[in-house]
Amino acid sequence: MTTLAMLALCGLENAHAQVRAKAEVSCRPAEKLHYDCVIKLANSRTSEPLSGLTLTVSADMPSMPAAHSVRPVKATEEQDKGTYRARIALEMYGDWAVRLELSGAVRDRVVKLLRFESDRVGEATPTQAPGRHRH
Amino acid sequence: MDDYLIGVLSNIGVISFVALSAYLLLLTGEISFGQQGFFAIGAYAAGIATALWGWSLTAALVWGAAVSGGAALLVGVPTLRLHGLYFAIATLAFAEMVRILFELFRYQISIDGELIGPNGTDGFRNIRYIFDHNIDAFEFLLLIYSLLAAVMLVFMLLERSRLGVIFRMIGQDETLAELQGIPVARYKVLAAGIAGMLAGIGGGLYAHLTTYVEPRIFDIMLGVHSLAYGLIGGLGTALGPLLGVLIDIGLLESIRALAGYRMIIFGGLVAMLLIVRPRGLLDEVLVHKIGRGWWRVCLWVRRSGLKPGANNARATGGSP
Repeated sequence: MTTLAMLALCGLENAHAQVRAKAEVSCRPAEKLHYDCVIKLANSRTSEPLSGLTLTVSADMPSMPAAHSVRPVKATEEQDKGTYRARIALEMYGDWAVRLELSGAVRDRVVKLLRFESDRVGEATPTQAPGRHRH
Repeated sequence: MDDYLIGVLSNIGVISFVALSAYLLLLTGEISFGQQGFFAIGAYAAGIATALWGWSLTAALVWGAAVSGGAALLVGVPTLRLHGLYFAIATLAFAEMVRILFELFRYQISIDGELIGPNGTDGFRNIRYIFDHNIDAFEFLLLIYSLLAAVMLVFMLLERSRLGVIFRMIGQDETLAELQGIPVARYKVLAAGIAGMLAGIGGGLYAHLTTYVEPRIFDIMLGVHSLAYGLIGGLGTALGPLLGVLIDIGLLESIRALAGYRMIIFGGLVAMLLIVRPRGLLDEVLVHKIGRGWWRVCLWVRRSGLKPGANNARATGGSP
């Protein structure tokens, strides 16, 4: 009964016009497996900076679903509008899906794929699809 | 409830579906390394349904389960003649084929000026149903566990039904089952279809929980884990794989201080457990003992209930 009620709830509820967020994330190594990240949040339609939000940053390893979830940390807002800062502690180097959880006036989630190495952080390079190898 | 705890519990709930899916095949005596393939099909199908076609979550989950169940039936028929290691390799090959197909799969639609949909190796982002419909993390957790409870109820009924007995009989001795007049092939395809549907429901929930999926998520790692859950937790009851998920994710969370070495420790523990208890913690013998113990308790309660005041009469020295 509970299941039916929950499913009915999800099915009947009307879509709510939400503000969608976009984010730019730049991280740099602070100490071993710790990274300082600067996150710039903006409205995806108007590109206006999104400030005054509660931003929680966490990360998952796409190759190990549910196995290496990083405990979420709250980001602090900088003086620049829409700019937030957080330090995340990872468990190993490699590709991580960094999850930005927005709450407050805007509720949204933005996922960024980044490759964390010991000396730098860059865009994650997804596995090469067959027939698309670069030589 | 803490957001982190909700996240961990949601992960446990969603992964339980794929664990139950592998468990169902284990009951029929087949080891599948490919249930992550059906999990992937369910995730993509349900994600496409809500994000691109604007379907409700209910319809999307049903669609995801139907597509993955259908795919499982299609795989089940040609792999019927395979057993043991050959079946395991065939399922693994299928799952890898699915993963590679999703690496090539591109189907994007512009919604509000933004391209949304599966984009090959870049994955499928913006499965934003829960945000667009204001469903918070706790409500989604309730949905996951409500569905899991419903599936567990079906499993409990299945294990007490003729169908459950047939599945176990096939798992114990296929030839003997055939000699008893059971159409083994038909039942094995049925089990494969149900297992595929279960994995598909899990995949649909996973896609909406994380809002993002990509082919790498559905690699062999997930397949091995989903199989290991049944083997760790036990094959005596459907609670076994759930116990396995709880041990795995709970253990991983509790030994967080060991960081990247956790998987090595987990692997060692699994190996040790399989030597000590080859059919898992809740194996058939333990489940039978628990059942007998419970039956004795019920019998004792019933007997003492039939003679109310017996003890009082004895204490006061009167006749019973």
